[in-house]
Amino acid sequence: MQKLTIAVAKGRLQTEALDLLARAGLSVSSEMLASRRLAVEDESGRFRFIFVKPGDVPVYVEHGIADCGVVGRDVLLESEADVLQPLTLGIGRCRMVVAAPSDMPLSGYRVLRVATKYPRVTARHFGLRGLSVEIIPLSGSVEVAPLLGLADCIVDLVETGRTLRDNGLVIVEVIAESTARLVINRASYQLKAEAVAHLIDSLSEIVAQGDVISSETTP
Amino acid sequence: MSEPLSKIPNGTRYYFAREARTRRSVEQIVMSVFDGWSYEEITTPTVDYYSLFEHGMGRSQAHRAFRFTDTDGRLLALRPDVTSGVARAAVTIFADRDRPLRLCYAAPVFRQQPQSHVEWRRESTQTGCELIGSNTSVADMEVLAVASEILQNLGLGHNYQITVNDVGIFKGIATHQSLDEVSRDEMRQLVDSRNAADLERFLAQHGFAPEDRCALTQLTRLSGKRETLERARRLIPNAGSREALDRLDSLWSMIESLDLADRFEIDLGDVARLDYYTGLTFNIYVNGAAARIGNGGRYDGLTAAFGKAEPAVGFVLDLDALTTVLLGLDVDTRLPKESERQMALVTNSDPTLLFCEARKKRAEGERVLIKL
Repeated sequence: MQKLTIAVAKGRLQTEALDLLARAGLSVSSEMLASRRLAVEDESGRFRFIFVKPGDVPVYVEHGIADCGVVGRDVLLESEADVLQPLTLGIGRCRMVVAAPSDMPLSGYRVLRVATKYPRVTARHFGLRGLSVEIIPLSGSVEVAPLLGLADCIVDLVETGRTLRDNGLVIVEVIAESTARLVINRASYQLKAEAVAHLIDSLSEIVAQGDVISSETTP
Repeated sequence: MSEPLSKIPNGTRYYFAREARTRRSVEQIVMSVFDGWSYEEITTPTVDYYSLFEHGMGRSQAHRAFRFTDTDGRLLALRPDVTSGVARAAVTIFADRDRPLRLCYAAPVFRQQPQSHVEWRRESTQTGCELIGSNTSVADMEVLAVASEILQNLGLGHNYQITVNDVGIFKGIATHQSLDEVSRDEMRQLVDSRNAADLERFLAQHGFAPEDRCALTQLTRLSGKRETLERARRLIPNAGSREALDRLDSLWSMIESLDLADRFEIDLGDVARLDYYTGLTFNIYVNGAAARIGNGGRYDGLTAAFGKAEPAVGFVLDLDALTTVLLGLDVDTRLPKESERQMALVTNSDPTLLFCEARKKRAEGERVLIKL
């Protein structure tokens, strides 16, 4: 079977993703993981892993540098990448929400200022409801923006909600539930059909065993 | 603020030397195959009425064109595809010709918005063919045979895969339910990105019957050879889809009997452009390209917008993407060899003698380089 390159999102998702892949028979030796190498092979030699920033996973997959990728749905919604998403992996569960100081009304004719790391998702979400918003793209610590007066509300990812509470914010709306997805390059899906189908099958078996109930909602 | 003059617009590029030569050779090989199957070359206007493309490609595709206005205020566009112009020509200037009509082309097309992050070019060269006036599966097979000969002749014989589908299968299930245009397209996108999880949720929300939900989510994973058709038959109960499955079945039998089954695959989840195609659809993938390098199918509604509905089938290849692949792949192509490009240095202090010598060598077919 042809060799597959799999892009894995670094950070939040990485450990869980590697654990899931290992259970599906794609394991990386601990020496490899301990090293700082960003491209490593699995023990069978049939897979190569590359570790990249979450937002870059769809980029590597869409360009065919990686055949497959493991990345959160939140990232896919923002990237609008043209990739196949045949499998929900049930790990890395979180929510994409609108959050605001509790006393802030979000309706009316006023133009809302929204700080976010997800400008496209934000524009789509408010656009669908006919609201005009000024989007303020930030690259981190978005929760502090309303407190400092930069924005009226934020669109961000929430796992436990603790950061929001600590910064005086409450969830106003849930835009989307998100878990990790297996994504696949369109050409690889055809040209490496056998290897890709095998990967999907063995991963879906593991996911089914874990009895992962998908409870995502469509934005 | 003035821009530096060195800049060239996003999505455009230069072709030079070996790349430019390769691109020209690819075009020649492709066009000679078309000629070999009796397709006549046609060139459509580079600048045309925007409404042509709106009718020919559908609004969602046409709006990607560069647009500007004519002196009388009518909206013009730089040609974003060639097929629209060919379809109009077929029912106007070729109205009295015998059918079927076989036409081919190679020309640059322009798109203000690129298709995806990978297909970044805003100017690209399309080459393709149209077979107009026949609705048989033999006509479908003819264009597939032409496409496969082109790939073979380019030296990609072991490096390509053509996926085939019939959009009637999906339409048969989808039209079961009354969905508005936006929801229909959302559903199509979910199937097209093989997103079974979100599709399942969408179908439940829109009140699809359990057997249709099951059929549609399974459709996203149905690909392979003949066994795919058998699996689909067990899953899909409605008459419209069955009819499309039968069409695909007879096409697959031809593919098998021509020993092409290795290079072809059935992919029932390919529903990229439902508003456009009416029967067969296919995508061409080659090793070394991250996205498809060609696609085609049957569009029996195409010429209706220009006055007369005629069955039509055809395909288009991205000549620039093919060139990039051929330059990068280590295969024995039929392209001219670079090693054969030697030149004869001509030197003489007397200009008359210099040019006499050069012209003599040119007459002998040599490639000359004058020392200045």
